[in-house]
Amino acid sequence: MLSRLLFLVSYGLTLVSSLGQIPSAATPPVSIDLSKFPAAAVDEVVVPVPSEIFSVLDKLGSPNWKAEMRDNLGKNTGNRAQVALLLGTVIADGFVAVEAENSESVKQIGQEVLNLADAINVRKAVLARSKSIMDKADSKNWRAVREELDGALQDVRSAMVELGDADLAQLVSIGGWIRGTEVLTSIVGKNYSATGAELLNQPELLNYFTRRIDEMRSSRLKKEDLVGRVRKLLRDIRPLIGKGGISQASVEKINKMTNEVVVVITSEEA
Amino acid sequence: MKPRLALLVPLALAVAVPLAVATVNDALSFAKEAAAPYAKQGFTIREDAWGGDLGVKDQQAVTAQLFRGNEYWFWLATDTRGAVITVHVYDSDGKLAESEFWQKGRFAAAKVTPAKTGAYYAIVTVEKSPQERSNWALVYGYR
Repeated sequence: MLSRLLFLVSYGLTLVSSLGQIPSAATPPVSIDLSKFPAAAVDEVVVPVPSEIFSVLDKLGSPNWKAEMRDNLGKNTGNRAQVALLLGTVIADGFVAVEAENSESVKQIGQEVLNLADAINVRKAVLARSKSIMDKADSKNWRAVREELDGALQDVRSAMVELGDADLAQLVSIGGWIRGTEVLTSIVGKNYSATGAELLNQPELLNYFTRRIDEMRSSRLKKEDLVGRVRKLLRDIRPLIGKGGISQASVEKINKMTNEVVVVITSEEA
Repeated sequence: MKPRLALLVPLALAVAVPLAVATVNDALSFAKEAAAPYAKQGFTIREDAWGGDLGVKDQQAVTAQLFRGNEYWFWLATDTRGAVITVHVYDSDGKLAESEFWQKGRFAAAKVTPAKTGAYYAIVTVEKSPQERSNWALVYGYR
């Protein structure tokens, strides 16, 4: 291991500054034809962790994060699709609470993540994360809390995939995306700028989420009303974030649409 | 922590060669080691990673949603001694998007400061290798 590290230290630190010395074989073409890649190679999309978006929002100014927090995090109805979506929204709320620097809310959310994870049999996977979220919230180490929340999301998803619940794992991501988009559009809508709105330019991600729902292995899950509602939401948002700028009207429309679905996910009737 | 791999479908999946996870994990360890110095520069390195195996001159695209306002580094590594691999990042129009890159044998990296928010494609290539197929692993970080 030490030899590996030394190797990296000796090369990794110097190569960045030695760009001009890179062999021509490594010089990339200035453009490529992406259509030459088989669909399977490009259809998979790396889903960004919430911190990536919040990192940009940090640079855009100082939104009123407290105004974005919710009192009601929702209720577990016992429906697994609802619980998975709800878990995603609650984790997204964790990021909002971090931005608002509200350690009590972060701790409450950490506990709720644990409860919801328990409901879908992945409590063990997030136990350590949950404790760490609470500890770091106590010490107000916000960056570390963000990383733990990112990690909790990934741990839950990995545990679900290991349990053969890849479809549900996808719903956790989608739930987080919907609540995150609701918050994002609320903030951007209140102080509209083209730069802020551009954060919504995620067509490939929307297409990817839609495909994941379309290709769910569990036909029962796919036929759930709530899943159908989410699928419709993704389809309806897609034309609003097409090529060109995303208007304030579109931002507000997406906010309304995502808010409605978050309300359904968090309601007892879901 | 045990590394976790979200293994993307390699181009040559038709061959259906099962991946030796332990070996891919070696590639992942190298990729994370390549990334480690950048954490000190404020980059947050994602815990999950992408990997697979490729033949010489084969390529794999990893599609990522990147956001204008962030900076990103992608770090690639293989566990095959003597192999040369590269990673380069293109935007959704197929135009080269990276502002820096470096390559040295089994390690490579590319930096992107997105001019626009959208989908980007990290193209992984095994330029040469003493083995028929080489395991690779890719991680990325942002700040």
